[in-house]
Amino acid sequence: MTDDDLWLDALLDDELDASASLALQRRLAAEPALQRRFDERRALRDAVREQATRHAAPDAMRANLQAMLATPAGAPASARVPRERASAHRRVALPWLTGVCGALAATLCTLSIVDPGALGWHRLDEVAQQQTAEASEAVSAHTRALLVDHPIEVASSDQHTVRPWLSARLNFVPPVVDLVDKGFPLIGARRDVLAGETAAALVYRHGAHMISVFVEPAEPNAPAGAEATRVVRGFNVIERTQGGLAFCFVSDVNPKDLRTLADLVTPLAGK
Amino acid sequence: MHEDVQARFAASVLPHLDAAYNLARWLVRDAHDAQDVVQDALVRALRHFDGFRGGDPRPWLMAIVRNAAFAWLGARRPGEVDVPDDELDAALADGAPPSNPEALAIRRAERREIDAAIAALPIAFREAVVLRELEELSYRDIARITDVPIGTVMSRLSRARHLLAVALRPEATRSLA
Repeated sequence: MTDDDLWLDALLDDELDASASLALQRRLAAEPALQRRFDERRALRDAVREQATRHAAPDAMRANLQAMLATPAGAPASARVPRERASAHRRVALPWLTGVCGALAATLCTLSIVDPGALGWHRLDEVAQQQTAEASEAVSAHTRALLVDHPIEVASSDQHTVRPWLSARLNFVPPVVDLVDKGFPLIGARRDVLAGETAAALVYRHGAHMISVFVEPAEPNAPAGAEATRVVRGFNVIERTQGGLAFCFVSDVNPKDLRTLADLVTPLAGK
Repeated sequence: MHEDVQARFAASVLPHLDAAYNLARWLVRDAHDAQDVVQDALVRALRHFDGFRGGDPRPWLMAIVRNAAFAWLGARRPGEVDVPDDELDAALADGAPPSNPEALAIRRAERREIDAAIAALPIAFREAVVLRELEELSYRDIARITDVPIGTVMSRLSRARHLLAVALRPEATRSLA
């Protein structure tokens, strides 16, 4: 394999910009060996595209999904799939019954959240459950931002760009500061929705790790200085209330570095 | 889970169910296991769907399926997902470069042979081929889905095509027969 192959493939895949494409086509016209190589590549590509199997989703699985998603979420599981059918299609139906039906949140939280803090408690009271749910939602928002196209709506390391952008779109003003000199360059910000409320999401980088900092107005009765640290689905989460704002720091960075960032950001709240 | 969210989820995701299943099927290489992976992925997707606003749902869903497949393999067949780069390089060095004239014979290779050649690729190359050739996603989308830089997508795809060309050479297909 040569570097030429990379270019030939990119041309084949229509991924070159106009000038690079033109330059390569000129080379192809001048170099028969390169043209032959390109023809081989294309023949292979065409053969794979025409002949390789595209596996279609099995009808039973599709039918199950359609039935599940067309059914009102409040209906009890047993009302949706007859027992016999559930056992006949056990492999297909059971994960959906446990996953999608009424107990969705509870089941998934049990399965997917590793929460050492919660495990040590004798009693998970309502407040703690709600906090766990919020942390879980923050982790979802963080991972979603990493997965989906645009983790950032305003890409700037300039706090004087990011802060006005956010305050124009939110009814509160989050503290925005570039911490590049402390090892946490500000990448930008976006709006996100946590528990139905619009939050500011500041995005910092630390080494190879992305860190989301969610900021929203604190609940009126939230104690100032309240703090919780937990691990949710492999992500470290620090929640902190300060200066009338609720902060939630989420990242796969180690807890010590996440706390360093929290200690740098939260003292600025309310200023 | 509100009904309208469920309906929106169904409208966004169900049209891509074949693509989701195809990717899972090629990654785990088993029809039943692929169903498990797709179901796991859709549960995750539904959980995260509240915040998915606009954009193309296909790469978003494919990324979730891909991660679910890797998690599934990591738990059950870790040897298939922990392939160090030098092993990929070794896989590449195994075959001599295909020589020119017979390459066009690849076109006549049978479906069975092409499927077998793709299935035999190391997983990093296999997913690149499936996402590019079968799902016809852009380099950019493939980079996002597989969580690597675009340059890595390009080199993996190029190496994958090289390995396929070697595997599908007429000599190779004859010796298989």
